[in-house]
Amino acid sequence: MLDYMIYIIAFVVGSIAGLVYSYKQHGEPFVDTSLNAVAAVVAVVGWVLAFNSGNVILSAIGFVLGGFIMGERPGYGRKETAMGLIIAIIVYLILKCYSMM
Amino acid sequence: MNLMAEILIQVVIAFLAGSLLLGLHRKVMARVQKRPGPPIIQHLIHSLKFFFKETAFPKTVSKVFYIGITFILALIWIVGVIAGPVAHDSLLILFGVYAVYKIVEHNSGSSSGSPYGKLSCVRAVLSAATELPLFAAIVFVYLVTGTMDIGEIIAYQSVHGPLFFSIPLAAVMFFMLIITKSPYSPFAITKDKVLISGFETEHFGLLRGFMHFSESIAWYVMLWVFLTIFFGPLNAVGYLIGMIVITFITGFINATTPIFSPNHSVMTQITIGAICFFGTVVMIFSGVVA
Repeated sequence: MLDYMIYIIAFVVGSIAGLVYSYKQHGEPFVDTSLNAVAAVVAVVGWVLAFNSGNVILSAIGFVLGGFIMGERPGYGRKETAMGLIIAIIVYLILKCYSMM
Repeated sequence: MNLMAEILIQVVIAFLAGSLLLGLHRKVMARVQKRPGPPIIQHLIHSLKFFFKETAFPKTVSKVFYIGITFILALIWIVGVIAGPVAHDSLLILFGVYAVYKIVEHNSGSSSGSPYGKLSCVRAVLSAATELPLFAAIVFVYLVTGTMDIGEIIAYQSVHGPLFFSIPLAAVMFFMLIITKSPYSPFAITKDKVLISGFETEHFGLLRGFMHFSESIAWYVMLWVFLTIFFGPLNAVGYLIGMIVITFITGFINATTPIFSPNHSVMTQITIGAICFFGTVVMIFSGVVA
C-alpha cells in the first residue's frame, strides 16, 4: 500500500502546485479556452509515465505532472488532461497487447 | 509490513482519497447544475485550512464534551479503517462504528448549545432510520455467505461471484446509506441549510478540521465496504474506478434532487428499505438466491 500512498500524495502535491501556478498565470475574470500546447505535453508525459512506467518513482513523477495540469484553475487544463489520459490508456492497451503476444 | 505502519498508510490514503472523492462529488454536482465548480482538490485544501485557523469556543458550549466529541469522531472512523481495509474484520464492527457515528453526530449538535446544533441533534435521531436498512443488508449478507468476516465474504465472492448479482436489493439498501451520507443528499436532514451547517455549525478551526478529516475517511470507508461486500474481490484499480463511479452517481442524484423535509426523508428511507427487505426475503425463500 505504500506505493499507492506515494502516488496519491504526489497527485495532491501536483494539484496544489498547479492550482497556485494557474491562478498566478490567469487572474482574469474569464476563461481562455484555447489549448495550451506546453500543458498538453506535460499532461501526456505525466499520465503516460503514471500508468505505464512500472516504477514507483517515475509513476510518482507522472502523478505530479498529471495532477499539476488536472489541478489548474477551473476551466483550464481540461482538454489537456483528457488528451493525456486518452493517450496514456492507449499506450497501456498497446503495451498490454504487446506483452500478451 | 508493520501493523502500525499499515494503519498509518491506510489512514493517510483514506483521508486523501476521501477528500479527493468529495471534491469530485462537488465538481460533478456543479457541472450538472451548469456551474464551473471548485477544483477537485478544493475539499482537501478546505479541510487542511481549518487546522491552521483560530479555534474559538462559544460561551454556551459544554466544553469537555464539545472538544472531546470531535476527537471521538475522528477516532471512530480510524477504527473503521482498521476494521475494514486494514484487518478485513467483522462487518458488525463497521455497523458499530456507524452506530457510534450517529451518536457522536447527535451529541456534537447538543454539546454546542446552539439552536441550530440542537435541532440537528434531534434530526440525527430521526435519521437513524438509515441504520435499519444497513443492519438488514448486513443480515442478508450473513444469510447468504454464512459469515460476518469481510475476508471470508471476499473469499465467498471469489468462488460464487459478486453478491450484487445474488442479492441486489440488499445492495440497494446499502447504497441508500451511501446516498444519505453524501454531501447535499436529499436525506441529509441533519445538515439542511435551514440549520446553517447542522451539528457542525458551532465547531470552528481545529475542531472543524477534525470533522472534515473524519468526513473524508467516512466517505472512503463506506465506499470501500460497499464495493468489498457486494463487488469483491477487487484490486486497487477496481476500487478506484468503483469509488469514482459511485461518487459520480451520488453527485448526479444530489444535484438533481432537493433536500426532503425530515418526515419525508425518514418515510422514503423506511419505504425503500422495507421494499428491498421483503424483496430480498422473497428472493431467498423462493430459491432465487442459492
